[in-house]
Amino acid sequence: MTALTGAVLAQNALSAADLPQIGAPAIEYGTLSPVLAITATALIGVLVEAGAPRRARFGLQSAVAIVGILAALAATVWVSIHDLGKVSFEGTDLLARGKTVAEGALVVDGPTVFLWGLLLVFALVSMLMFAERGLEGGLSGFTGQAAVAPGGAGEREATMAGIEHTEIFPLAMFALLGMMVFPASNDLLTMFVALEVLSLPLYLLCGLARRRRLLSQEAAVKYFLLGAFSSAFFLYGIALVYGYSGSFTLAAIDTAVSNQIAGQNLLLAGMALISVGLLFKVSAVPFQAWTPDVYQGAPTAVTAFMAAGTKVAAFGALLRVFFVGFGGAQWDWRPLMMIVAVLTMVVGAVVLIRQTDVKRMLAYSAIAHSGFILTAFAGAYEGSAGTATITSVSAVMFYLAVYGFSTIGAFAIATLVRDGGGEVGHLARWAGLGRESPVLAGVFALFMLSFAGIPLTAGFMGKWTVFSAAWSGYAWPLVVAGVLTSAVAAYFYVRVIVLMFFADPEGDGPTVAVPSVMTSAVIAVTAAVTIVLGIVPGPVLDLAQNAGTFVR
Amino acid sequence: MSMVELTFLMLSGVAVFSALLAVSTTQVVHAALWLVLTLGAIAGCYLLIGAEFIAWVQVLIYIGAVVVLLLFALMLTRAPTGPDSATTTSNRNVAAAVSVLVAGGLAAIMVSGFAGERLAPPRGGVGSAASIGDAIFGTWVLPFEILSLVLLAALVGAIVLTRRGPERDNGAPGDVPERAQH
Amino acid sequence: MSLVWPLLLSCALFGIGLYGVLARRNAILMLIGVELMLNAVNLNLVAFDAWWGDALRSGQSLTLFMIAVAAAEIGLGLAIVLGLFRATGSADVDLAVVDTDEQADGAR
Repeated sequence: MTALTGAVLAQNALSAADLPQIGAPAIEYGTLSPVLAITATALIGVLVEAGAPRRARFGLQSAVAIVGILAALAATVWVSIHDLGKVSFEGTDLLARGKTVAEGALVVDGPTVFLWGLLLVFALVSMLMFAERGLEGGLSGFTGQAAVAPGGAGEREATMAGIEHTEIFPLAMFALLGMMVFPASNDLLTMFVALEVLSLPLYLLCGLARRRRLLSQEAAVKYFLLGAFSSAFFLYGIALVYGYSGSFTLAAIDTAVSNQIAGQNLLLAGMALISVGLLFKVSAVPFQAWTPDVYQGAPTAVTAFMAAGTKVAAFGALLRVFFVGFGGAQWDWRPLMMIVAVLTMVVGAVVLIRQTDVKRMLAYSAIAHSGFILTAFAGAYEGSAGTATITSVSAVMFYLAVYGFSTIGAFAIATLVRDGGGEVGHLARWAGLGRESPVLAGVFALFMLSFAGIPLTAGFMGKWTVFSAAWSGYAWPLVVAGVLTSAVAAYFYVRVIVLMFFADPEGDGPTVAVPSVMTSAVIAVTAAVTIVLGIVPGPVLDLAQNAGTFVR
Repeated sequence: MSMVELTFLMLSGVAVFSALLAVSTTQVVHAALWLVLTLGAIAGCYLLIGAEFIAWVQVLIYIGAVVVLLLFALMLTRAPTGPDSATTTSNRNVAAAVSVLVAGGLAAIMVSGFAGERLAPPRGGVGSAASIGDAIFGTWVLPFEILSLVLLAALVGAIVLTRRGPERDNGAPGDVPERAQH
Repeated sequence: MSLVWPLLLSCALFGIGLYGVLARRNAILMLIGVELMLNAVNLNLVAFDAWWGDALRSGQSLTLFMIAVAAAEIGLGLAIVLGLFRATGSADVDLAVVDTDEQADGAR
């Protein structure tokens, strides 16, 4: 050890004495272009906030965000062609394609590019919901003045004057940037910084609802405190793994884990604490406590963005850390993850049945779906060359695509069912929606069927892929548990459909607001994807399979 | 036991003692002041390990900025000095048991993994600003740039939550809930 | 110096911070607990960095990053908590989940 330290010191003293010789770090701007595009979008958003006239700001900000995301999407397609090589649609490609960039901080490989594409599409759809102004009399669904007390004179004045917070768009872009960097991180330091960029703006956005502001502010405080708490555990885990392996880089950790260079207890504790931070973000049991309150309190557009985007980013990071960094110790972590998966499915499905509020219902649904995704993760099936079976990575990515569209669509519909006080949260008041607006209720029923995993909807294909990956990884008890909990949850989803179409409305019944083209587009797109992925899942499934495995 | 080791243990004692007071005192402002003492003792520990740059950053940023913010927050949200009975919940014992278990478990792992390992005496350059600068602007340059965006996002966020629109007069110092009544 | 001393100090601080978060009800006092936990992590990182003689200064770099992020987080957290305080006149939070009909009704 001392010889090593001495050599390092000598090397270091040399570089310190010889400053001008330090070369500029190598940054692959082309490969990083999707991330850079979103960064630029966020910065332009901040400048617009500073310079543009107040009246023009909202339209300008939403346009900037949407154009920026489209540019990043184009860049992602370019990166997938330019840096990943030709994509073959044979379904047998288990190669890891891609490279590490920016001095080894990020790795741009098949899964990274697939998840970037997914995140950008979800963000694009969510930004349309952010930009919706048809539901609150020409104002957005966000509070006009976050600095004044709820229900006070200041709030009324702000509403009368038509003041709106337009900073929500650059803040969402910062969060999106964090979501994109998170699953692409090649070392734990970058992953931590990405986690914070992704979290801080979301904590804030959660507290900005226009209606029921107290609930929204409480949600923000709760999410912030629990988030800071969980990232402390995540960091302690990083410190332990660093003590074990002497590096933050996932490949170096993998080498250390495979060679078992130090006490295994240290590694086990490190893995457990790191998983606390990541499982918190995917709201797996027992770290799910924040989910219902935050999903309910946050502005619905933010909930949709968070539900889809955070889940994609956090599962991407979870898979990368555990498959690449801790792959050599999978017999240590897989049993634990299997328990977490079963608990998550069971708690999600059982508590789901008791829900009476639409957004809380969708929150428990999100927890249950995290459990289904965890089955594929705990199965840890990495495929074998020459067979066209579904690997865990591609199953998780496909499920994330399916779930994200359905959940954004469901939240979009939840913004439309309203009464005098804003959105109607109570499920009992959704009775008779089928008579009031058959189309809307029908689309919501479609999303419910997809959540339940009924054949010919996207949800069925998603469940089929994750269960088949878990089965291939010999995690058949998880598949049994998954099918049983799906059945329990399906009972509830069908009950919601029955309620909407066959129950008598309570009093006047809910009214369905007429949205602008923004929310209509969101609902149309998500419904179309839910149907198309259920009937012809091939192309997207091929993309997920061709993404291959992680670059180590 | 060397002089360095002895000093380290004394600083550790100060840090643990003041940390215990920081989480248990009922005087809310005192909690922040005990935190200052803990953070200062930890900065001393950094110096003894040889991380001098970190030690000074700890003093400047943690004690200078973070604790001052905490003090502001405590004073803005409460009567500045009065005792507060609601600061601790009734399930204090459960919390204490959980914490002792976690700390004890971690300590057992640390001792089993690193008993007998020794740190080399600090030598010049290991924790200097120059060597850390090399690392940050070389290997860690991308996370460093992203870090600047964290700060920008927090800045924008804090402005969103606290700034009032230009249409309002700046007469009222605080928009307290009483204003809702008339 | 023995490596276990900083590591044991870190365990103790982590436990104390954990107690602070679990036992306090005032959001800002909870944050003090979180800060203690983060400092425990930093101490670990610096000790391991010195022990490994890491040429990349990974541990010390992450410590710097964490100090900067903590400053940002506290700034934003303060703003969020003050928002709640303005509305309710209290900075107390209850982190437990209450999943009852009353809560859903109270939410309206």
